Amino acid sequence: MLSALIVIPLLGAILIGLLPRVSSSHAQTGAEVPDYSRAIALLAVTLAIFWSVLLGFKFDTSISHLQFVENMPWIDALGLTYRLGLDGLSLPLLVINALLTWFAIYSTDELLQRPRLYYMLILMLNAGVAGAFLAQDLLLFFLFYEIELIPLYLLIAIWGGAQRGYAATKFLIYTAISGVLILAAFLGLTWLSGASSFGYDPSRSQFLPLATQLILLGTLLIGFGIKIPLVPLHTWLPDAHVEASTPISVLLAGVLLKLGTYGLLRFGLGLFPEAWSVLSPWLAIWAVVSVLYGAFTAIAQSDMKKMVAYSSIAHMGYILLGAAAATPLSILGTVFQMISHGLISALLFLLVGVVHKKTGTRDINILHGLLTPERGLPIIGSLMIVGVMASAGIPGMMGFISEFIIFRGSFPVFPVQTLLCMVGTGLTAVYFLLLVNRSFFGRLPVQFSNLPPVQWSERIPGFLLATMIVFLGLQPSWLVQWTETTTTAMLISYPTIGAVGHSLTQKDKG
Amino acid sequence: MEQFLLQNSWWIPCYGFIGAILTLPWAVGIIRRTGPRPAAYFNLLMTIISLVHGFLVFRITLGEDPQPLVIHWFTAADLDLTLMLDVSSVGMGAVELVTALSLLAQLFALGYMEKDWALARFFALMGFFEGAMSGLALSESLFLSYALLEMLTLSTYLLVGFWYAQPLVVTAARDAFLTKRVGDVLLLMGVVALATLSGTLNFPDLYEWAETAELSPTVSTLLGLALISGPIGKCAQFPLHLWLDEAMEGPNPASILRNSVVVACGAYVLIKLQPILVLSPVASIALIVLGTMTAIGASLVAIAQIDIKRALSHSTSAYLGLVFIAVGTQWTDVALFVLLTHAIAKALLFMSIGSVILTTSSQDITEMGGLWSRMPATSIAFVVGAVGLVGLLPLGGFWALYEGVDTYWYGQPWLVVVLLIVNALSAFNLTRVFRLVFLGPPQPKTRRAPEVPWTMAVPMVALTITTLLVPAILQRLYLLPDWTYINGPAVVLLMLSGAIGFALGATIHLNRTWARPIQTPLKFAQDLLAYDFYVDQLYKVTVVWLVDRVSRLNAWFDRYVLDGAVNFVGLASIFSGESLKYSVSGQSQFYLLTILIGVSILGALLTYLVW
Repeated sequence: MLSALIVIPLLGAILIGLLPRVSSSHAQTGAEVPDYSRAIALLAVTLAIFWSVLLGFKFDTSISHLQFVENMPWIDALGLTYRLGLDGLSLPLLVINALLTWFAIYSTDELLQRPRLYYMLILMLNAGVAGAFLAQDLLLFFLFYEIELIPLYLLIAIWGGAQRGYAATKFLIYTAISGVLILAAFLGLTWLSGASSFGYDPSRSQFLPLATQLILLGTLLIGFGIKIPLVPLHTWLPDAHVEASTPISVLLAGVLLKLGTYGLLRFGLGLFPEAWSVLSPWLAIWAVVSVLYGAFTAIAQSDMKKMVAYSSIAHMGYILLGAAAATPLSILGTVFQMISHGLISALLFLLVGVVHKKTGTRDINILHGLLTPERGLPIIGSLMIVGVMASAGIPGMMGFISEFIIFRGSFPVFPVQTLLCMVGTGLTAVYFLLLVNRSFFGRLPVQFSNLPPVQWSERIPGFLLATMIVFLGLQPSWLVQWTETTTTAMLISYPTIGAVGHSLTQKDKG
Repeated sequence: MEQFLLQNSWWIPCYGFIGAILTLPWAVGIIRRTGPRPAAYFNLLMTIISLVHGFLVFRITLGEDPQPLVIHWFTAADLDLTLMLDVSSVGMGAVELVTALSLLAQLFALGYMEKDWALARFFALMGFFEGAMSGLALSESLFLSYALLEMLTLSTYLLVGFWYAQPLVVTAARDAFLTKRVGDVLLLMGVVALATLSGTLNFPDLYEWAETAELSPTVSTLLGLALISGPIGKCAQFPLHLWLDEAMEGPNPASILRNSVVVACGAYVLIKLQPILVLSPVASIALIVLGTMTAIGASLVAIAQIDIKRALSHSTSAYLGLVFIAVGTQWTDVALFVLLTHAIAKALLFMSIGSVILTTSSQDITEMGGLWSRMPATSIAFVVGAVGLVGLLPLGGFWALYEGVDTYWYGQPWLVVVLLIVNALSAFNLTRVFRLVFLGPPQPKTRRAPEVPWTMAVPMVALTITTLLVPAILQRLYLLPDWTYINGPAVVLLMLSGAIGFALGATIHLNRTWARPIQTPLKFAQDLLAYDFYVDQLYKVTVVWLVDRVSRLNAWFDRYVLDGAVNFVGLASIFSGESLKYSVSGQSQFYLLTILIGVSILGALLTYLVW
């Protein structure tokens, strides 16, 4: 069942690889063989979407342990097993992975150079990420986590902007270091606990001395902290976003960052509950630093993409806060926030991409009056307002309810840190409002008076995403029911902090 | 049937939202052939439906016990977010006020916005506005109220920014959003803290909790201040008041609602919060102090304005300041009374000046004059609105202010003084505006000034009659004091203050050609008031400056220090690799030397360590 999510995109990639070569000049001659790579890629991802939605329907929300488990010994000598499983933490992320890949492919420029390689790489990326979300074996997770690097590196390095070489290499080095640290932590855990396999087992760390646990968890935290990214490990992200093309930015922000937060929950909190509860006050402070640093830096940016990138850093900080608090509610909120950030940042990047394509710039000091009807981009501008407001946490949209759940869940444990993080939502309003006000309000300058018209095909992804954001903002229960049982069960082996938080509430009540 | 209407009263706010959604095909430009008018008709229809539905429910609930409607919206872990609606005669009355004023404002907008190409978008926003406001009137859950307040913030931003091509509108929309957002974020902090402390967000449960809660003074103070800051922003109270003045750049039909019921919504939430605010004496004192400062300050500032809309919008802040005082002193009846009468009279005033603005294409009162004979209905509307607002003749405003004066008469006499000052100043201001706009010789812009078309005149006249009928409505609702218990001196003082204001306004020398006094102190005073005590400048050099500096510093640090360090590591490794490659010379004696040096260093180290 689950392997299909990895196999379908891989088959698609192989099929595209078998296609006859299409001359890059086919646009001029027109008589050449038509290029089917895009259609195949879309078909494969559509199948993957259907498959994951089907899994969602068959998923039993009342069971907290893994479902649809696939177990196949792979390399016994190493202790590596091909073990996949699905629970409420990975299911929404799998759906969003398939969904955003579809949007990325759909919004790719059809006149792209080397389309076959491009679509193959995107499908491989999709397969790698799906595998990482499904893997229930530490080593297997690590393999998928590393495999996903290669296509992404190439996607940035080949189809990126002017500085793509620098950005792609920086991304590669950072993430490779992150992979090495994660591997080190996994190996350390397995060997020190004397286990014979790398299977995921939450109870494994409990016989290790606390100091060892702390070191292993610290290694893991830095590893995933690079991927999330958390300040000060974040500098690869703005560069990668600015240089990557729009669809790749969508995937990077919407899906790939979630690997970090997913790892944080699954392997940080899940494998080291005891050490986690010791470190959690520091993690909450780290979250505050990330949120405020990201938000303040975003205010000073003039490149739209950089602004959205820094806002991602800030919004990922909320997830760390929720994870640090580790109450059933806050963990639920982190999963919700992952999905809402995925959809919202995807929407924002798509729209910024359209603006860049039409005007040739992303500088908010140059752009003005894009809302102007007839000659401007009024619908793109309206969608941008929706996205921006969702990100700033206006109720009725996903951004609000996810942040509210995190804040509500974290407040009993870390009141001061939660309040400081809330300042971040105010700052989000500041920078995104500046973005909309400068570039969409005002008078359209003469230099932009002949913008090429926006096609409906460029608007449709934005409309769909905006609809989803509003719908899930009004009906959050639909998403939450998938996750709730799992996140609650995750904390059963984790009594310490919940008790602290509870006692605080009691104390306040007097 | 009755039960059906009651059970489905949660639809009332939804009608507005549905209307807003129905306009989308026109607002987005999918349907062009019909022009934008059908969108407006859809919205009007939805407003009428919600008015009728609300009226029927109001009739049913009148004299019956409130039947709260509970919707379990979201349940997860230990969180149960219920949306509780207050289906009572008070809540329904508020809904009726909102929808009726919204209907009138939308009718008015049909005429006022007739030539605007974005009529459909305007009506979409008005529908959204109306939905959020009627939801607020019904909401019995702090969570829902907070959510709707934020939606109001958003729709205010979009309505103020409606004519987004004008530079003043751009800053006005930005300031409106950010100022309210400051209040909203603080309110959110309060909401989250309150939810954690009490475990519920429904007002009845919160009241129960507040009666027995024992909080440390710091917690209760912070909680109280956080809770009041949302309404402070929404009601344009000091220090979050600047947006209302700037928001006057937006279209006038929206200003009608904004100055009457939108600000009232914020105050309505505050009134609902009042039993919780009792926990924090500091918050109550803050309410009184801020309310007083705003009431008197804004009344003064209004006098120095020459923009017709701004002259009136500052007086909105002033009246809401009175509401804040009333809530701070725990007289919520007075607060509701002032809100009701102010909303009706202020809406009428804004309709009247809307007609003036449309006819003269100007908002500068020094360019106007002599309109009374040309626009009789508009003039009458202004006069009735003004009389309905101030305490002089026994219309709504008089009774509301009288209620306040009578309430504070024994306990807090200095608040009576505040009320009288505000009354006198607003009478003065309204007389001044009336003289400049309607009396005197006509000026170039007012010479050809026909009365407005029927779409604007009908709602204006209807509201004029309503304003005149307010005392009768109050009588029906048993809100008027009994004649035998009337406080004679209070009535006299109130009328006197109104009369003084009126007399001063009628006699003061208003010269349109020299708008600037030559005497330095007078000039200074005028500037001080005209520029709103320079509060915006104060913000510019404090909060805005701080955020700007911190963000720049952060960006600089990020780019040069943090990223610089990363790049330095990269460069250093490349550089060391590049330099080390010269050590591979291919000469064996060089390798031997390297080995020798390496071995001797190792040997020395070992001997040292072993020793």
